[in-house]
Amino acid sequence: MTAVVEAPPSPEPPSTRTRAQQRSAAWKRRAPLLPALLFTIAVTQVPFLVTVFYSFQSWNMVRPGSRHFVGFDNYVDVFTDSVFLSALGNTVTITVVCVLVAMLLGLGLALLLDRQFLGRGIVRTLLITPFLILPAAGALLWKTTMFDPTYGLLNWAFGIEVEWLSDYPLAAVMTQIVWQWTPFMMLLILAGLQAQSREVLEAAQVDGAGRWRTFVSITLPQLSRYLQLAVLLGAIYIVNSFDAIFLMTQGGPGTASTNLPYYIYQRAFEGFDVGQSSAMGVVVVAMTLIVATFALRLMFRAFDVSRGVK
Amino acid sequence: MAMQTATAGRKARWALLDIIVVVYALVPVLWIASLSLKTKDTIADGNFIPREWTLQNYRDIFATTEFIRPLFNSIGIALIATFIAVVLGMMAAYAIARLDFPGKKLLVGVSLLIAMFPQISLVTPLFNIERQLGLFDTWPGLILPYITFALPLAIYTLSSFFREIPWELEKAAKMDGATPAQAFRRVIAPLAAPGVFTTAILVFILCWNDFLFAISLTSTEASRTVPAALSFFTGTSQFDDPTGTISAAAVVITIPIILFVLFFQRRIVAGLTSGAVKG
Repeated sequence: MTAVVEAPPSPEPPSTRTRAQQRSAAWKRRAPLLPALLFTIAVTQVPFLVTVFYSFQSWNMVRPGSRHFVGFDNYVDVFTDSVFLSALGNTVTITVVCVLVAMLLGLGLALLLDRQFLGRGIVRTLLITPFLILPAAGALLWKTTMFDPTYGLLNWAFGIEVEWLSDYPLAAVMTQIVWQWTPFMMLLILAGLQAQSREVLEAAQVDGAGRWRTFVSITLPQLSRYLQLAVLLGAIYIVNSFDAIFLMTQGGPGTASTNLPYYIYQRAFEGFDVGQSSAMGVVVVAMTLIVATFALRLMFRAFDVSRGVK
Repeated sequence: MAMQTATAGRKARWALLDIIVVVYALVPVLWIASLSLKTKDTIADGNFIPREWTLQNYRDIFATTEFIRPLFNSIGIALIATFIAVVLGMMAAYAIARLDFPGKKLLVGVSLLIAMFPQISLVTPLFNIERQLGLFDTWPGLILPYITFALPLAIYTLSSFFREIPWELEKAAKMDGATPAQAFRRVIAPLAAPGVFTTAILVFILCWNDFLFAISLTSTEASRTVPAALSFFTGTSQFDDPTGTISAAAVVITIPIILFVLFFQRRIVAGLTSGAVKG
């Protein structure tokens, strides 16, 4: 693919300009980017610094005057809190299972949609729909119309009586998340499928490669970048899943389906424990940064953000 | 002859697969629609087609402000946040796509990193800060965080669209005697419009969908949005079973989006994949 946009003409050789002029020119070029950047930094980093500050204090909002500096105590508490650790485990389970299942389903659907057939447009629209339904509504619908023991479609369809949400809370939540995210995976993978060159596929056929062989040796390697992207973007959002758990199980029964975002929310808005919940927030940010570094490296490769720099 | 039956068999298999897929995608949606049209007495009968049809559930949700007011809040807040995010995002994307400066990669990296910032760790401090500033439970109180988390998405989609615009045309128009404003309005703006429009749709959906901020930073109908309001849905009285009304509310807020997608499907897909498609 050829770059249509030419890089703007490079500035004249440094000898003809003073350094100050250069610097002001450089800032002029950055200027359009600054409002967005300053805004996002203000709204995310100021609260984050406040979070870090809170995390070193013992502060419970229902006990006024209890606020004092406690150093790393909150962090020690966080890592010895068994609920935190089980929430961490649930978060990892939800993320890994949902991303993998949604990606496999998405791959299957994308392969199905990559062929010409009557009504393909309609089928594709219907398949995208779950991604566009308000997630909160999606979660409530699964709760009331699919899993509910009385009105639930599942019990009606299989003729059984199972309390899905209390017997299999984590699986129920994961089913809803997979349902919501499969279309996203499908769209990304479909884009990858449609970007592969027909000639190469035909050449493989002429050379006598079967369908499976063609898929494994040509399509999959070509798709790998799209698959990685789908996994990373999906993981970033699914790690933060909150609506599904809040609306479907309230983290329960007990803490069986509590994940980190929900636990932090509970500590802050139901336990009013600002210090503890802030410390957990900082821990989550640290973990996210580690994952995000990998994600960013991949995104730079996949999107080629720096095109035009050379 | 044998060849023909083989392809016919294959066609039948694919057709069967297609039907299964359509059923999978369609059944939950139809089930919601069916529940929303059932009367209170028949809602638990498990019939796919309602035995007694009624619009009572729809009348109920529009009878009180419980649903209308949040709907108004949702639309207003999402529209304002989308507008501001797209304007700021356009400036940033222009810089990324067209200008060259040291530190560009770092700036892009920072903005992408913010997209991945776990929202939950910002909610408590935002709650406290907004209460201090008097922004808690107001429209700006939700618009500000929405813009922040929409900006990275806006910048990412817009900059990949902007890179595809043949900017030489601008120069050509100026050579032909157009003023810079004319060149922008007549040549560049029409080329950029589809990308901006797609981005606006995606950003709007992002703001529209948010639940975490909506539930933590609002407390009354003054600024509560639809996702948060849904979790407070209890039907006409506290002891009423809300399944019918929830279904009706879900239909009301879902159908516009499905129609929207039917019309703009190509654009939305292009927007989601624009970055990835470029090799």
